[in-house]
Amino acid sequence: MKVLVCVKRVPMTGGKIVLTEDSRAIETKHLGFTISPHEECGVEEAVRLVEAHGGESVVLTLGPPEAEEQLRDAMALGADRAIHLVTDEDEWDAQATAGAIVDAVRADEAATGAYDLVIFGNESADSGGYQVGIRVAYALGRPVATGLKGVTAEGTTVRCEQEAAGGRDVYVLPLPAVVTVLEGLNLPRYPSVPSKLRAQKKPVDASSPARPESRLELLRLVVPESQGKEAEILGHGPDAAPAVVEVLRLSGVA
Amino acid sequence: MATLVYVEEPGDLTQQTLALARSLGGPLYAFTAGDTVAVSGVEMVHHADADAFRSYAPAALARALVELVEAHKPAAVVAAGTPRGNEVLARVAAIKDLPFAANCTAFESGRPGSVTRTRWGGSLLEEARVHAETLLLTVQPHSVQGEPASGEPAPVEHFSPSLRDEDLVVTVRERVGSSAGGVTLADAKVVVSCGRGAGSPEGFGIIEELAGLLGGAVGCSRAVTMAGWRPHTDQVGQTGTKIAPDVYIACGISGATQHMAGCKGAKTILAINTDPEAPILASADYAVIGDLHEVVPAISAELRKERTG
Amino acid sequence: MLVVAIAVAGALFARRTLFLTRLVRAGKPTLRASDLAARARNEATIVLGQRKLLQRVGPGLMHAFIFWGFLVLFPTIFMASAAIVDREAWLPERSPLLWLEEQGWYALLVDLFAVLVLAGVAAAFWIRKVQRPRRFEGSHLGEADLILALIAGIVASLLLWHATLIALGLNPWPAGWSPVSDALSGLFADDTQTEVLERVFVWAHVLLILTFLAYLPHSKHLHIGTAAFNVFFSRTRARGRLEPLDFGVEDEGSMRFGAGTAADLTWKQMLDAMSCTECGRCQDACPAFATGKVLSPKLLVMGIRDQLFADGPALLSGAELTPLVPAAVTDEVVWDCVTCGACVEVCPVSIEHVDHIVDLRRSLVMVDSNPPAELETMLRDVERNANPWGKPQTERASWADGLGVRILEPGDPAPEVLYWVGCAASFDERARTSAISTTKLLLAAGLDVAILGPRESCTGDPARRAGNEYVFQSFAQTNVETLNEAGVTKIVASCPHCFNTLANEYPDFGGRYEVLHHSELLAELVRDGRISPAGGKETITYHDSCYLARHNDVLAAPRELVERIGRPLEMARSGKKTFCCGAGGAHMWMEERGTPINEERAREAADTGAGTLAVACPFCTVMLDDGVRQTGGGLRVADVSTLLLESVERA
Repeated sequence: MKVLVCVKRVPMTGGKIVLTEDSRAIETKHLGFTISPHEECGVEEAVRLVEAHGGESVVLTLGPPEAEEQLRDAMALGADRAIHLVTDEDEWDAQATAGAIVDAVRADEAATGAYDLVIFGNESADSGGYQVGIRVAYALGRPVATGLKGVTAEGTTVRCEQEAAGGRDVYVLPLPAVVTVLEGLNLPRYPSVPSKLRAQKKPVDASSPARPESRLELLRLVVPESQGKEAEILGHGPDAAPAVVEVLRLSGVA
Repeated sequence: MATLVYVEEPGDLTQQTLALARSLGGPLYAFTAGDTVAVSGVEMVHHADADAFRSYAPAALARALVELVEAHKPAAVVAAGTPRGNEVLARVAAIKDLPFAANCTAFESGRPGSVTRTRWGGSLLEEARVHAETLLLTVQPHSVQGEPASGEPAPVEHFSPSLRDEDLVVTVRERVGSSAGGVTLADAKVVVSCGRGAGSPEGFGIIEELAGLLGGAVGCSRAVTMAGWRPHTDQVGQTGTKIAPDVYIACGISGATQHMAGCKGAKTILAINTDPEAPILASADYAVIGDLHEVVPAISAELRKERTG
Repeated sequence: MLVVAIAVAGALFARRTLFLTRLVRAGKPTLRASDLAARARNEATIVLGQRKLLQRVGPGLMHAFIFWGFLVLFPTIFMASAAIVDREAWLPERSPLLWLEEQGWYALLVDLFAVLVLAGVAAAFWIRKVQRPRRFEGSHLGEADLILALIAGIVASLLLWHATLIALGLNPWPAGWSPVSDALSGLFADDTQTEVLERVFVWAHVLLILTFLAYLPHSKHLHIGTAAFNVFFSRTRARGRLEPLDFGVEDEGSMRFGAGTAADLTWKQMLDAMSCTECGRCQDACPAFATGKVLSPKLLVMGIRDQLFADGPALLSGAELTPLVPAAVTDEVVWDCVTCGACVEVCPVSIEHVDHIVDLRRSLVMVDSNPPAELETMLRDVERNANPWGKPQTERASWADGLGVRILEPGDPAPEVLYWVGCAASFDERARTSAISTTKLLLAAGLDVAILGPRESCTGDPARRAGNEYVFQSFAQTNVETLNEAGVTKIVASCPHCFNTLANEYPDFGGRYEVLHHSELLAELVRDGRISPAGGKETITYHDSCYLARHNDVLAAPRELVERIGRPLEMARSGKKTFCCGAGGAHMWMEERGTPINEERAREAADTGAGTLAVACPFCTVMLDDGVRQTGGGLRVADVSTLLLESVERA
């Protein structure tokens, strides 16, 4: 089977987030980058599907020239080749991203044949838009299931499992289809050095699509006030219990 | 200008969604399907009737919603920022080729509309303009106080959306039991962890009780597994499991680097510690200073009280 | 008949020797040609002087007697062989052997060393049969007994032969010079029976020697032939340095990294395997073995040797080989090692166990991509966040807030000394104290010191010791680039692991700096009077970090500091014989099986009765602090820099 997986290059945050001077992006001078975690599982899944059923796995990203690093990482996991939609540093909104991906998929399918499955992360770690995969699916006229933690190819269909209260909801989609997956779908392998070296030589098809106007137009980013604050002392001893329960309630777990 | 609110099911999240939707001004209408019928605090409920809605069918829901949007031309469509709320609105956005802003904490109507939405799972806020005739928005859970549900349920208008074959493909066929069997440490929404302060393997009884009440998992520090009190599968840390729950409750855990490396993915950290100088307080969002053997049972008791009362 | 015996024994010996030589020649390359003076010195002290063996006086003397006896008695082999051919005219006239045989002093030496060898053999039997030390567990004991019996037989037959010669009046040397043989000659009359016995003894002697010769290369006593070479080719400096691998490979076939099969071993590693005498000194010194882990460095080397010999013919013919893990050693063994180097330090034949371990790890991690789960986490964190805990790099310098230390930005003038903080002292709450203390002291001493802040990243050491040379090299290249661009010439490092990497390993990647450990720089500043500590009465025991003491010979400086700030008390295992804290070799990020090493060491520290346990390594700080807490030792664990700062503040 032929599988496409779309990934995004995101910085490794974790500490106090620092913004660039114009507040339009995260200061990434000292940060490492990685494939957004849901999508790393997506790559692993694509590679496993091809290992099990034969075929080809292709990885696609829309991002700056440096995103080639993430494409190489994906190919080190086992993807056969890559498509790089090269952008400048400015972020593309979800609609523009989906549009460029759709164009690229159509062009690649015209040249190399149709994809049975296109895999996306459920949402990107950074912008968290929850929509690119869905938009691409509708534009290509293919069914899409989201937030999956289980993907099994069964002949002409794909069985999709989604976590739900007390179990898993099951969807069965006819192929070709689009799925969006969640971290935990699998445990991505630790790539061997030979596979990393091989990945350096796998082909990357790079092109630069034109950037349309953003319809969800980012004005500025704001670090919430709660960030980097000292712990709020809820109280001393058992008397603090009501305040704790209030915090649990606000966090949506009680 | 009216706002249409997709109501998945009644509850606190719906009340939060209605509260933020109200900030757009204009009357609120609800869209429901399946078993969800009664909604209060809105002008009217549009309830979609179709066999497809006996189970969750996101494509069909989106199609029905699009039909309403086209018929009534609301200024905005709002849903809760849950997996389903986000999915259905993203589908509407895809069908209508409209922008969609997920997980907002504030918005203003207008052309363009203005939103504040969360990024990085809430660690960062984005202020953005939405250039669209219809705003598609979801509400970041727990970012606003829900309005109290009061008054009579609104009148319901039933409609039968015209669904296409392709809208019926994506539907939940069955629900199977979780293969994992119970909540795993890595997936749990709440993790309650304890260090050597538990005193003994039996000391974890109160920890298990609290985790059980919250539907969460029990974790522990390396010292505890080294002492043989808990299996290594329960260990949170660099060399144990790396967790990312919504809430991490760390009882009697000092906050060694190796431990913190395992729980840095937690959205909220609550530390319970006798030592106000413990390093974990530097990373925690909330803290209770006190003996875990007193504090933890008190929290459990309070939770029970809330639920029965 | 003699010719036949010699031919048979010689053929057996030659066939085996040829096989072994071909194996070694098929080994992967490793550069061992430089430093001839140091190599000669090692040969003189370790081989001839038996320096490492004599670290244990009893067994050391036992071996030294046999070894020296072997050297002294060597010419008698030829004398006896000649005597078999013709009793009267043994050798051509003016042969040096003939001359030597006539010398009274040589006869005295022969008697003396024959007795010493017998004493040595007796002592060896005593050690093996009565004392039965644990270090022999798993060694080939029967083989050793046979060899010892052979040696005893060879020497006894020599003495008896000499005794019969004296009894028959055929001794070319003055009998008075050989008191033992002379005394033994009293057992024999000058008659035909003795003539027969003389033939029996000389034949027995020569046949035993030939048996020994034929058996030797098939047994663990192969070390008689290989040890001298192995010592000669052993590392001459920087024991902490690992050999870099070359990743510039083009073809699929050469994508083998580390030791996957016997064919991947370097010739030195093969020689290591052939040199092992199974004496178990490494096992005795190994902290992993001492705390109930599966690893025994001795069994590791024996396993590799057995696999090498079993796969040898296939290796030489280029056939498919069995993977070393798990055939030769199990996965557990490979991961139990803390790379402390105690085994290497004590090995009498200079086997380099750590190199074997690291090469096995390299293959498991880089080729099989099968590291232990915890190390996979650590490796991913290093790769993505440039530190092994996955902490945000932006917070690397937050410990330095308000201290006034310069953070070196690109284009800034180079500082007099660059302080390389290391990940542990940057991110770990407990280890940070030493970074803060060191910085305060250096600034107070008026040094122009700077840190790299977020531009500093992991040196790559944990990845390298965990077997991921590829990740290590990418960090080495980046860091060397940063340091060179900044014009850094002198570095002080807090972490002995960083110190070792910067000083010994970065030169392989174009980074040549004067590198000091903070204890060395601080001791220098104290000596120069730029830092003035107040003496104290506090009892302090200092724990040597393996990567300082054993791998890099930094022993004196931290002790100098301890002496200036309190009353030093030494632990039983200190200096180059130090016992690891349990964190080395990437174990800082691994789960431990069995008794924790840090607890064992914490108990040892507590046994000194000291109030403070001084350390000079952030890993040791964390490990031993944990160890003290777990064992309830009540010791205070603190870095020497922190103790020094407190002392300065008291003054």
